[in-house]
Amino acid sequence: MIHDLAPQIFNGLVLGAFYAIVGIGLSLIMNLTGTINMAHGSFMTLAGYLAFTMVSRGTSFWFALIAAPLIAVVVGIVVERTLVRPLYKREPFYSLLMTFGLSLMAEEIYRLIWGANAVPFSPPPGLASAVSLGFMSFPKFRIFIVIVLVIAMIGLALFLTRTRFGLRLRAAVQDTEMIAALGTNTQLLYAVNFGLGIFLAGIAGVLAAGMLGLSPTSGNALLMPAFVTVIIGGMGSLFGSIVGGLLIGMAISLTTLWIPAASEVSMYVLMALVLMVRPRGLFGEEGIFG
Amino acid sequence: MSRPSINRRTFVTLAGAGTAAAFGIPAYLPRIGEAADTLKIGIVEEYTGVYAGPAENETAGFQMAVDAWNRRGGVMGRKVELVKEDCQNDPGVAAQKAHKLINQDKVAALGGTVNSAVSLSVAGVANSAGMLFIDSGGHSDAVTGASCHWNVFRTCHSTWMETHATGYSLAKKFGKRWFLITPDYAFGHALETGYKDVLAKVGGTIVGNELTPLGTTDFSSYLTKIDAAKPDLVIVLVQGDDYTNCLKQMNQFGLLKKYPVGGPQVEIEPLLGLAPDSRAGYWGIEWYYKSDLTLGKGNTVAHEFVAQSTKQFGKPPTARNCFGYVTIDRMLTGIAEAKSLDAVKIAHAIEGARFTSIFNGPAYYRKEDHQLMWPMWLAQIRPNGTPGDKYDLFDVIDMQPAESIEQTIAEKEKVCKLGYP
Repeated sequence: MIHDLAPQIFNGLVLGAFYAIVGIGLSLIMNLTGTINMAHGSFMTLAGYLAFTMVSRGTSFWFALIAAPLIAVVVGIVVERTLVRPLYKREPFYSLLMTFGLSLMAEEIYRLIWGANAVPFSPPPGLASAVSLGFMSFPKFRIFIVIVLVIAMIGLALFLTRTRFGLRLRAAVQDTEMIAALGTNTQLLYAVNFGLGIFLAGIAGVLAAGMLGLSPTSGNALLMPAFVTVIIGGMGSLFGSIVGGLLIGMAISLTTLWIPAASEVSMYVLMALVLMVRPRGLFGEEGIFG
Repeated sequence: MSRPSINRRTFVTLAGAGTAAAFGIPAYLPRIGEAADTLKIGIVEEYTGVYAGPAENETAGFQMAVDAWNRRGGVMGRKVELVKEDCQNDPGVAAQKAHKLINQDKVAALGGTVNSAVSLSVAGVANSAGMLFIDSGGHSDAVTGASCHWNVFRTCHSTWMETHATGYSLAKKFGKRWFLITPDYAFGHALETGYKDVLAKVGGTIVGNELTPLGTTDFSSYLTKIDAAKPDLVIVLVQGDDYTNCLKQMNQFGLLKKYPVGGPQVEIEPLLGLAPDSRAGYWGIEWYYKSDLTLGKGNTVAHEFVAQSTKQFGKPPTARNCFGYVTIDRMLTGIAEAKSLDAVKIAHAIEGARFTSIFNGPAYYRKEDHQLMWPMWLAQIRPNGTPGDKYDLFDVIDMQPAESIEQTIAEKEKVCKLGYP
């Protein structure tokens, strides 16, 4: 039993870490501006395809891992400035619909540029194989992903707690009007915050492209688990998203052990259970950003 | 001298025509010499979603058949035109689109589909409307089995054919303990049934069967169970992007080095989404552009099709292009031979008629179940293609005649009643 269980738990935690980083990006944008970014997956796909294009033109994977998300951020800020910003004063419903439409358009645009079929995007040669962990052999690339995600999460936590800009962001989440009255440029805050969320999506997108596969639909397929992550963890809580991600990773992985066909539904069952006990999600009321 | 006069009647006619032109009313009227004369064929395909790639290639095949017929003057003196609808890989949407094509576009017949659940849905709508439907690419047995209809034909192979063309050789080559990765819908379950039948006959066992939802991106939790099951062979039944993701992750987990892999079918489209180190195995294939075994030596029609399609679309045709071409070509042949748009007459013209086309040997849509009876082939993957041709990924090693891999007429008649009106 333990022999079966250990690989599933380990794999579930790694998968969960991945959902967590997507969830955090989503959560950042949602917390500050109330925008439910349905196009989050599209930005992941965009970064994945940009990285694919760079690597197939001869640049290194490492360069693409940083450069592709940065280009996605530029696109993201343009989208924020032109399409999302006019909707901030309206109900969240409007930006939800707008970003949903955007995600449909993006999928079609990717299909036009990169084709309808999946494209081959592999981890760099040193990370392409599996390593034996004793109880299972596990892809080196997935271990690398966990390292990148931990670095990204620590970096983000430091940014939000140790820098002036980060403090302003957190203050703005609690009371935008007050911080605006105190002379902070909130429009700039919004743009940087949106960019930050997209940057995390971009990193996750490049990693997902190497780990899972890359096609016009691949980012949108990861959007639902990311939303469930945020809801389970509790809106507004960075720490909650981490816990939420790990929980659904485990739920999916462990369900596979006993009822494989139910693995997809397991995260929704978990979400329903959490919402019944704590409607705000696990860490939703502990204050913004954990 | 009388002035050039515009009488009331002319004025009304001109004004009416002008208004109509200005407000686009002619769009509602049959355009003289065009719409009324065009024969419309409705196409339902999965242009968005995981099967978008295969859907695009089937459509390229449809178009080539239409162009070929139009160059010869069309069918019954009418040009042929395709009306295409995207079903978003959703059987419910597919039903709506099929209704729309029938009622609004007034198409003469329907074709298309990749996803078997979509095929069954369109087949149902077409049957209730009494309209011909040729399923180009949905493989589930049910289409020409338990859910067969008099108006429904199928071009691609049935899941029974795919599993029986591959199963015996896979068991002989690699062993009888199989681990299945199965897509959790009609198509996957049908393949599973086919392989269970093969395993029962050769005395093998299924040591693991993972049902994965269509559109699964992460296969890791299924793949981590393979080591514990210790199979002789891993059978991959998922297709499209799911296939790409699954094989890629199997490689990253080091499984492709440990276990042989194979299955009932593989297509070029998803293989191109894989890096060469993830391309492996022994698979059934349904057509191939670069083998005398699949095209037939000296079959000029087939070689011309390959050359023209490669020129027109900038890449060699796949089995999907072949399904598309054969589907529309036979549909139009049926209409031309029936000299009528009456679905019953067209169906009778198509069924049982032997023909040669762009593959090796004669074929026919079997009269009893409307399944296209044509051979299947086995291939080994050539991971890097051949010099100068990255698409040349298959080494075709064997051909299996249709009659040896499909259920017999007696077996089919137990489940399929065509029910002609």
